Amino acid sequence: MILGRVVGEVWATKKHAALDGRKLLVIEPYLWYAPSHEVAHLVAVDAVGAGVGEDVVVCMGDPARRSLGTTSMPIEAAVCAIVDKIELAADRGARPLTFVGGTAPAHEAV
Amino acid sequence: MIRGRVIGEVWATRKAPGLTGRRLLVIAVDGADRAMVAIDTLDAREGEDVMVSVGSGARNVLSPGPDNRALLCDAAISMIIDGES
Repeated sequence: MILGRVVGEVWATKKHAALDGRKLLVIEPYLWYAPSHEVAHLVAVDAVGAGVGEDVVVCMGDPARRSLGTTSMPIEAAVCAIVDKIELAADRGARPLTFVGGTAPAHEAV
Repeated sequence: MIRGRVIGEVWATRKAPGLTGRRLLVIAVDGADRAMVAIDTLDAREGEDVMVSVGSGARNVLSPGPDNRALLCDAAISMIIDGES
C-alpha cells in the first residue's frame, strides 16, 4: 500500500457503468514504492468515506480492482484506511526516504 | 517478496472491512529510498528486518483461501528475518 493525501474529488456524469455511484478521490502520493508512472496525482475509488485534506492508505493493483465485489472495475487504486497518526523512527540509519509528493506527511518521530 | 525494515507505524481507526484490528507498518525497502505500507500479522517491531509479500498474493497472508478477494491489501509482512547466510 502507499500513503497519500486526498486533495480533491472527481465528478463525472459519463463514466464506465462499474463506476456508477462510486466516489473517486484525487490523491497526492507521498510514500509510494515503485510507482508505475511518475505522476503527481492518482485517482482512487473510496471504500471508507475519506474526505479532502485527510491522509489515507491506498491499496494498488489487483486487490483494489477486486475489492468492491466485481473484477470488472476499471480501477487500480482504492482507499483502504484513513490515517489518524504516523510514527516514523527518528533514526533510519542508511535508509533515507524520498517523499514523492509536494506535501510531506505530518508525522511524529519516535 | 520484498525485503525491508520496519521504520514506523500508521495508526488508522477507519479502515476497510477485513482490515479492522490489523496493524499497518511503514517499511523502508532495502536498496531503495522508497517506503511502503504493509499489514502486519506477525507482530513485527520497529528496526526488524522483514519480508513483505506484495500484490494479490498478500491477501493470503491475512486470510488463506479463495474467499479472500474482498480484502483491500496489496502488501503484508510474511516473515520476520532472524538471520541469513
